[in-house]
Amino acid sequence: MLPLLRCVPRVLGTAVAGIRAAAPSLPLLQPASRPCARPFGLLSVRAGSVQLPGLLRPWGPCGCGCGCGGLHTEGDKAFVEFLNDEIKEEKKIQKYKSLPKMSGGWALEVNGTEAKLVQKVAGERVTVTFNINNSIPPAYDGEEGPSEGQKVEEQEPELTSTPNFVVEVVKDGSNKALVLDCHFPEDEIGQEEEDQSDIFSIKEVSFQSTGDSDWKDTNYTLSTDSLDWGLYDHLMDFLADRGVDNTFADELVELSTALEHQEYITFLEDLKGFVKSQ
Amino acid sequence: MSLVVRNLQRAVPLRRARLREKVQAVRRALGVQRFDLGVVCVDNRKIQQINRIYRDKNTPTDVLSFPFYESLKAGDIPQPEFPDDYNLGDIFLGVEYIFQHCKENEDYYDILTVTVTHGLCHLLGFTHSTEAEWQKMYQKEKQVLEELSRHTGTRLQPLSRDLF
Repeated sequence: MLPLLRCVPRVLGTAVAGIRAAAPSLPLLQPASRPCARPFGLLSVRAGSVQLPGLLRPWGPCGCGCGCGGLHTEGDKAFVEFLNDEIKEEKKIQKYKSLPKMSGGWALEVNGTEAKLVQKVAGERVTVTFNINNSIPPAYDGEEGPSEGQKVEEQEPELTSTPNFVVEVVKDGSNKALVLDCHFPEDEIGQEEEDQSDIFSIKEVSFQSTGDSDWKDTNYTLSTDSLDWGLYDHLMDFLADRGVDNTFADELVELSTALEHQEYITFLEDLKGFVKSQ
Repeated sequence: MSLVVRNLQRAVPLRRARLREKVQAVRRALGVQRFDLGVVCVDNRKIQQINRIYRDKNTPTDVLSFPFYESLKAGDIPQPEFPDDYNLGDIFLGVEYIFQHCKENEDYYDILTVTVTHGLCHLLGFTHSTEAEWQKMYQKEKQVLEELSRHTGTRLQPLSRDLF
């Protein structure tokens, strides 16, 4: 398994500004009614579960009366309420309750934010790996008001996950993998303007040993930035013959978007539980 | 110079290397290998959108050409002063439309070749708005396709054959 360290992380930017709006600004540390609330820097995360040295030892039960020993500020309460609403809204707009299937016989393995699609094609094993972290390009600036003529209640454009993905091709009986690092175009998704970019492009190509777990920088890596276009077209045809074509790329975007949304909702739920700490 | 092929669609499986080979042959036959050219393959939805925006025709079509030199006299080869001007423009191929209209006994890539020849002639100033203009264009396409046929053994007919 080759790590995705070669994939260039994409800046999340203002993509989260849409439905995932910032929490309303409230004083962070509005103390509870009792004067025992601790300064922010001395938070105890899980009350009663560890022996805390010195200053970090809780002074007593939390001022809100829950008895957990954690810090529950007014800000935390508002945060939890906000998260409740946010989770409800995100679940309402969730396009896929379970992950969409890829056509073409790909088997899916998911490990947290990393997904692997595997297929055997006549004596070859093809693996496509991607990570949904930092995979949503900034689609628009959420802080701008509606454009001229746009209704205020119009739906905001959907956030789409377009992760870089790595294709590995290994022929049976060989310990050599042909590895192709592929990207989706960097332009903003959802624009109606003419777009002349391929649906996806190959950025780098390299041979790696199947036995090595780490990417070897000492192996020659072909960059397609200044590559002969004829060779590039042959590489794209090579991928298409192994099921990595435009249809595959479109379906990968659907899968990645669904997985990212799922992970986001799980994160919000974990965050709510953490802040609540009950 | 560069021939850039782009495939923006998934309606029709496309062999990029094979299409490139065909387009290169047409460029050689027209004597414009030293000029940059873009060939963009799109589906019906996209070509219809472009047709609507630029020609006010809300319908898919087989080819749309966007010349770099907009006032070229038919048959003239541009004589640029600067390296950046060695450019003919872009051809949008409605590959889905072409595929749907391809007859059973016709080779899809032969039809693409004929369509690219027509598109490239447009980039070189040929038009078919009048009969006289059409005659010039038809003759040029025929000349190019006959040269290609000599190498491949196929008998390709100009796209503009039935336009007048």
